[in-house]
Amino acid sequence: MSDTLDVVLRLLAVFVAFLVLPLVVGQTEHKVMAHMQGRLGPMYAGGFHGWAQLVADGVKFAQKEDVVPAGADRRIFQMAPAVALLPYLLVLLAIPVGPGNAVGQTVDAGIFFVLAVMGVGVLGSLMAGWASANKFSLLGGIRTAGQLIAYELPMLLAAASVAMAAGTVSLPGIVDAFHWWWVPWQIVGAVVFFVAGLAELQRPPFDMPVADSEIIFGAYTEYTGLRFALFLLSEYAGIVVLCGLTTVLFLGGWHGPFGADGMGWLWTLLKTAVLAFVVIWLRVTYPRLREDQLQKLAWTVLIPLALAQIALTGVVKVVTQ
Amino acid sequence: MGLPGSGLAKGLAVTLRTMTRRAHTAQYPDVQPELPPRTRGVIGLFEENCTVCMLCARECPDWCIYIDSHKETVPPAAPGGRERSRNVLDRFAIDFSLCMYCGICIEVCPFDALFWSPEFEYAETDIQDLVHERDKLREWMWTVPEPPALDPAAEEPKEVAAARKTAEKLAAQAEQEKQEQQEQQEKEGDA
Amino acid sequence: MTGTGTGTVSATATLAANADAHGFLSPTGVEIVFLLVGLVTLGAAVVTVTTRQLVHAALWLVVALGGLAVEYLLLTAEFIAWVQVLIYVGSVVVLLLFGLMLTKAPIGRSPDADSGNRWAALGVAVAAAAALVWVVADAFRTTWIGLDGDAPQGTTKVSGEILFRHWVLPFEALSVLLLAALVGAVVLSRKKSAAKQSPVKKSREGAQR
Repeated sequence: MSDTLDVVLRLLAVFVAFLVLPLVVGQTEHKVMAHMQGRLGPMYAGGFHGWAQLVADGVKFAQKEDVVPAGADRRIFQMAPAVALLPYLLVLLAIPVGPGNAVGQTVDAGIFFVLAVMGVGVLGSLMAGWASANKFSLLGGIRTAGQLIAYELPMLLAAASVAMAAGTVSLPGIVDAFHWWWVPWQIVGAVVFFVAGLAELQRPPFDMPVADSEIIFGAYTEYTGLRFALFLLSEYAGIVVLCGLTTVLFLGGWHGPFGADGMGWLWTLLKTAVLAFVVIWLRVTYPRLREDQLQKLAWTVLIPLALAQIALTGVVKVVTQ
Repeated sequence: MGLPGSGLAKGLAVTLRTMTRRAHTAQYPDVQPELPPRTRGVIGLFEENCTVCMLCARECPDWCIYIDSHKETVPPAAPGGRERSRNVLDRFAIDFSLCMYCGICIEVCPFDALFWSPEFEYAETDIQDLVHERDKLREWMWTVPEPPALDPAAEEPKEVAAARKTAEKLAAQAEQEKQEQQEQQEKEGDA
Repeated sequence: MTGTGTGTVSATATLAANADAHGFLSPTGVEIVFLLVGLVTLGAAVVTVTTRQLVHAALWLVVALGGLAVEYLLLTAEFIAWVQVLIYVGSVVVLLLFGLMLTKAPIGRSPDADSGNRWAALGVAVAAAAALVWVVADAFRTTWIGLDGDAPQGTTKVSGEILFRHWVLPFEALSVLLLAALVGAVVLSRKKSAAKQSPVKKSREGAQR
């Protein structure tokens, strides 16, 4: 009985985190982006500095008509948001926030699980892009696919470097093996992982697949109401997952300069929050990369860097053993 | 150019610096804007100064000023004098749905009867309510701010200069008379 | 697609043999789930090759490959399961969809999505399935491999040790094969531009790529 209760509680906690954290990131993005542009951002919803803006947005989305274009492939069109969103929920299940048992579900081959399932999420965008019967959506879908193929490889290689360093592919195992000097050692891999993750999430400056000034909103052009909201939610859930993963893999998760016992999960959350801020910061600062620049960055910069990182990791590993 | 990537870092610094500064957003309905005194918000009418000369109505480029008046004869001020005729204002209205806020009416008014007021919150749901009649124009008059002070090293206004000149002349005259009187007294004392 | 179907069939066959030794009439929950997932996978694989809608075929392939990953998971081969998802669902199918989108796969049925060779293909598929089932069944017969014993068979550690200790040579031979394919792709894509086009045009094309 207590086992069942434990499982239910864990699932519930992960689900709540899944619903709350993306909204927190979204609200932070509203506010941070506004202030970086000399604006105030939402000020009314909820009273105090517009804290409930995203709740209000959700209510608005729920009230909208759910439109399926006449020429669309109905079932796939309707299924796509769920395919885009669910993988991030699954990934969140495997990210450890604290030492010991503070993880939704321990997965033996954690890195592979996380990266594999994140890759599945992009299928949602592809399905949406194809099923909308809209040329802009189709273009968005093609760009999404091209971007995923280009950036999946450096992301995997960077993650493999950490797995080599730690000698394990389980996420809690990697954090357990972490020492502070891993940060300078793996910094290149960390940057490659983070950048590739941003590209996979189609966050600016890598938002060519949804470039609103040329292809409206890419694969999501034809979506309205709740399904559109699900796509947006999956983007922000993706930010949470990416930042959490980078924290766990490269920044030592719950290790901190002090307060290691009991407060470890706070360190994880703090690092994740800082990274989420960086995601927003990058979005505000840089203009969108052109499609050829996107591909060039992945194939000629990130992959060589990731390979160099793997070589460095291997050399250090052999020398120190 | 400097180090590679220094441009990227500079970009990040710009956004971060902007974030630490105060936002420029005008929180209008919550906080009223601080408008300069010469803001062209609405036009107020100081009825007592109006002589119904019709200059404003004639100069208005889009004919949005309506003036009705009649003549009255005023009995002579002194017995035996001539009767005077006087224009009396019956209606003065400005249609703000036509007005383009050029301010020509205010410029041409020779008797300072029209003024700019910075008030701007007079939107209506019916366009006909944008015709502001005499009483409403008078109410706007109370919102007209004091004219701004002159620049520190500016020339004095002409009327002040004229008044001062007269005052100085009078003072000099008085001084001279006083002196002459004194001289006379001294002479008398000598004698 | 054929491989998917046969893989399931062979795996089911092994399981059946196992279950025979350990009480065929009282299967455990895992075994029932294994069978059901196997049926779903088989069904998805069949739909993949029979549907007339190209993109639907690709998406059914996702279901089939995902089902196979679940089967691996049920056999406690976690590492292989996730790699299956990562490589096949995450990359191969995405590449497939990319190709379909680039060639503007229509919504609805494609009239020409049928091959004249389908009977030959069916024959090859049945032959391959039969060979695989026969080989696997003959190799293991009624050997019982404990899944949740002291030494789990499918963990990352065990897989790595087996792959890089006992089977290093085939593994490296495979990687050489992949390298050859890679080099071939590079050669194929460079040859034309080097021979025909001026250097300026070539560099522009390189940027586009």
